[in-house]
Amino acid sequence: MQDLLYFSQQLINGLTIGSAYALIAIGYTMVYGIIGMINFAHGEIYMIGAYTALIAITGLTALGLAWLPLILIVALLCAMIVSSSMGWAVERVAYRPVRGRHRLIPLISAIGMSIFLQNYVHLAQGSRNIGFPALIEGGFNFSADGAFEMSLSYMQITIFVTTLVCMTALSLFISRSRTGRACRAVSQDLGMASLLGIDTNRIISATFIIGASLAAVAGLLLGMYYGSIDPLFGFIAGLKAFTAAVLGGIGSIPGAMLGGLILGVSESMTSGYLSGEYKDVVSFGLLILILLFKPTGLLGKPEVEKI
Amino acid sequence: MAANNYRHALFCAIVTLIISFPILGFNLEAKGVNIELTGAKTSTIVAVILAAVAVFVFQAYRDSFMGLLGKLPKLNPLAGREPMEQSKRVKLESWVLTGIVVLALFWPFVVSRGSVDLATLVLIYIMLALGLNVVVGLAGLLDLGYVAFYAVGAYTFALLSQYTGISFWMALPIGALLAGLTGMILGFPVLRLRGDYLAIVTLGFGEIIRILLNNWTTLTGGPNGIGGIPEPTLFGMEFGRRIKEEGNTSFHETFGIAYSGEHKVIFLYLIALVLAVITALIIRRFMRMPVGRAWEALREDEIAARSLGLSRTAVKLSAFTIGAFFAGFAGTVFASKQGFISPESFVFLESAIILAIVVLGGMGSQLGVILAAIAVTILPELAREFSEYRMLIFGAAMVLMMVWRPQGLLPMRRIHITLNKQG
Amino acid sequence: MTTSLKKIVTAISTSVALMGVGHAAADIQIGIAGPMTGPVAQYGDMQFSGARMAIQQINANGGVMGEKLVAVEYDDVCDPKQAVTVANRLVNDGVQYVIGHLCSSSTQPASDIYEDEGILMVTPASTSPEITERGYELVFRTIGLDSMQGPVAGNYIASQNPKRVAVVHDKQQYGEGIATAVRDTLKDKGVEIAMFEGVTAGDKDFSSLVTKLKQADVDYVYFGGYHPELGLILRQARQADLDAKFMGPEGVGNKDINTIAGEASEGLLVTLPPSFDQKAENKSLVKAFEDKGEDPSGPFVLTSYAAVQLIAQGIEAADSKDPFDVAAALRSGSFETPIGNVQYDKAGDMKSFEFVVYEWHSDGSKTPIN
Repeated sequence: MQDLLYFSQQLINGLTIGSAYALIAIGYTMVYGIIGMINFAHGEIYMIGAYTALIAITGLTALGLAWLPLILIVALLCAMIVSSSMGWAVERVAYRPVRGRHRLIPLISAIGMSIFLQNYVHLAQGSRNIGFPALIEGGFNFSADGAFEMSLSYMQITIFVTTLVCMTALSLFISRSRTGRACRAVSQDLGMASLLGIDTNRIISATFIIGASLAAVAGLLLGMYYGSIDPLFGFIAGLKAFTAAVLGGIGSIPGAMLGGLILGVSESMTSGYLSGEYKDVVSFGLLILILLFKPTGLLGKPEVEKI
Repeated sequence: MAANNYRHALFCAIVTLIISFPILGFNLEAKGVNIELTGAKTSTIVAVILAAVAVFVFQAYRDSFMGLLGKLPKLNPLAGREPMEQSKRVKLESWVLTGIVVLALFWPFVVSRGSVDLATLVLIYIMLALGLNVVVGLAGLLDLGYVAFYAVGAYTFALLSQYTGISFWMALPIGALLAGLTGMILGFPVLRLRGDYLAIVTLGFGEIIRILLNNWTTLTGGPNGIGGIPEPTLFGMEFGRRIKEEGNTSFHETFGIAYSGEHKVIFLYLIALVLAVITALIIRRFMRMPVGRAWEALREDEIAARSLGLSRTAVKLSAFTIGAFFAGFAGTVFASKQGFISPESFVFLESAIILAIVVLGGMGSQLGVILAAIAVTILPELAREFSEYRMLIFGAAMVLMMVWRPQGLLPMRRIHITLNKQG
Repeated sequence: MTTSLKKIVTAISTSVALMGVGHAAADIQIGIAGPMTGPVAQYGDMQFSGARMAIQQINANGGVMGEKLVAVEYDDVCDPKQAVTVANRLVNDGVQYVIGHLCSSSTQPASDIYEDEGILMVTPASTSPEITERGYELVFRTIGLDSMQGPVAGNYIASQNPKRVAVVHDKQQYGEGIATAVRDTLKDKGVEIAMFEGVTAGDKDFSSLVTKLKQADVDYVYFGGYHPELGLILRQARQADLDAKFMGPEGVGNKDINTIAGEASEGLLVTLPPSFDQKAENKSLVKAFEDKGEDPSGPFVLTSYAAVQLIAQGIEAADSKDPFDVAAALRSGSFETPIGNVQYDKAGDMKSFEFVVYEWHSDGSKTPIN
């Protein structure tokens, strides 16, 4: 019983982180699906979302606002607006001019953008870790006879629920709305879609905006869950989320969700049963194994080679 | 149309405000145990507003600006000229390279010690970039974990010298061979992956190797790194003030000159120079051999190359192995120069910088890569006064370079043979 | 092709011109080498602020042997590669005395060069024992060693008769060094070590670690590392109702841990050098810092101040500006500094450097425990 509780606790920990990874992974997977490039700066957009949310929360609290849901909603909106503007601007400045060139060019441009944004925030806000207030506290505790107590915090529930809502909304948006249909058309065949009268530039911008907004949601949630933010934390999270996207099959939205959850759980299980030192080794090793046996990821469409 | 233009400009200006105002306009400050929000200095706010206005003006009158820019006399008067004839170009390039090498030979004797030390670092980067150039520039395989092989070379020397007391000259080939072998072993399973998947898998390998070095404390010393790595000797002569190993003599005593720390720095520099030249020559040779052509063929059109009977795995693997081999070379020199290595010298940013050198130099072009290595290593040193802004500028430069001159400083032109006209 | 030639020539000539510039040697140059930028720049600030103040005050009192001290500052970003470059530039600039470096991994490769080139180095912050283990003549420090701090913490924990102790570290030179020392001390005392494990520095999610600590049912957790990680561990442990006492080295003892951990930082145990800024005899010095708008309470401010002062006193005691003479004088003498009376042993470590156990409070204050 004791062991089962321990296992479930680690599973909950992993699923929490995993669902947040999935939110960030959406940005990678949608951009890759449409223009076939790795948006390395996406992790930084997530970081900027977290910073904006913290600025908004601190500002609102200083103004004397005390009603928690209002603070959260306003902070979330601020973060989403700033992040999505950032996503839009990054695409316009760094990616659109190099679109269609050799595949390495946009990648280098993206790495450059990532370094730029990291240092932009570093210069503006300093390099130190800043504490993020824990606004949602408390949770449920489950205990057997043993000493070990399993806990499921409200924060973790919030992360699950928000991710689920975001994913459902996104799936509906992609499958039902006009823009969503256009997105799918563009990802199938960009040239053909533009021939059919779809404004592809608009759709690509929309993709960046959607990805960045979801990253901002993740920024706020993970900021509160972890407890501190710094200008470098976006890069690591971005790398993980990108791994999750590749794991699930890049270009596929359910794949991003699945990849995120698998990555999160495998990380927490490694820390829980082996040692935290090796969790990155295990997650990258897992990625390599999956790619070796299924080179397009778990849910990716097999690429047909042109002949 | 005009109204549309203004609307777009206004939109851009508002976006500028949105992305810069919250981050720049408010500072999160720790006051005691609490975080407080303070407004930034007025000058910052004014700057943000000015930036927004500038964006508005530029976007609104974009067409006229661009027109003006087009009318300006060309910055580079030679830009419009016909490209030089192939044979002449190749000849000139080898002259320039020879010139650089000759200049580099005499350079350490006229400049200060700090510059020589920096130049050694530049040479190490040149070796790394030349090696990565084979993988990325010639074979078109995107490798984001190149630093792993650099680490293998450096750690091979460090560990061998610690456990067996091996000298630099013995460790150099061993380190390079081991790095090449690692490249081959790692490359074998992953090279069938396509483009971006390969990128992320190599990135993963780079991280795995670094984490293993950091965690395997009993062998590698973990985060403590390995110190006391010997410097290279010249026919058994050491360059230190005191002799560290028995049986060796010291350089300054043998020649009866006063001890000077500069000898060591210059000697290391010369070794790095010779190795860099060897690297360049060998890779140059490879480029003209069938295997070099095969790399490029595979890069340009994989299916066509395969249908001509090229073995995809063998060709890719050879590029990967050769690239890794030279990274090991560079790693050994690095370990010897530092005298101390730890995993923190082999992080992802290092891979990104080497990749940036290759791309800035113009993928495939050796001369370009050499110039880019010099620029990327020296510019941050020169800009130390702006050290706060160093990485910011570096990032922005990478983006701007890709937007304006993606072919790099000196793009490679295809090596081709024109048939002699039959008279 | 001529364009590229031009580029080469310009590149080379500018680099020659700009790098050949040295400082004109006048007075006594004191190099200060540490991180002005990068992730640990805040510790670098402490170092620079302390050393600058000492130089300013010594000059105001007439300098050393009638000569003024001049600060020459270098940024090594705490990167070993840049530290070597910085060390070579110091040699180039003819500096003979260095305050620095800050990070042990930078100090170690740089000290090889200083020793070879006859430059006297005093590090105010690097605690790795290996730095002074190599028998170097010109390497000193004004801070204790990991191997001194660990036993203090270990002995304290052992004296509380704990059931089980977990030792966690951040897999960096500093953190792992101290954690190992703590573990060894505890083992000697026969305390049960439930786990000894590393986490990744810069990581944010410690929920799995906290769960593991809970499962192991430990009552003491020692963390070797810096405040960003421990702050998060404390906070996430509190969220998960982990009931254990936490303890850390001086790298966690600053107010930033309160902004991260909030209430959870109450009752944290920290081993610190005695707070020199609280000492009665340092009152006027503390006031001088405060007048300048600087905070003297950081762990490396007064150690840097003392480092400069030791060099100045060493020069006067030796009555020579030769670093080897000064080193000999430092080894044989006894010096009064804001960090107390300093005497050096053969290796270049202080003969006594005290660490005290403090209890940290959620308002950022601390009380000593005896």
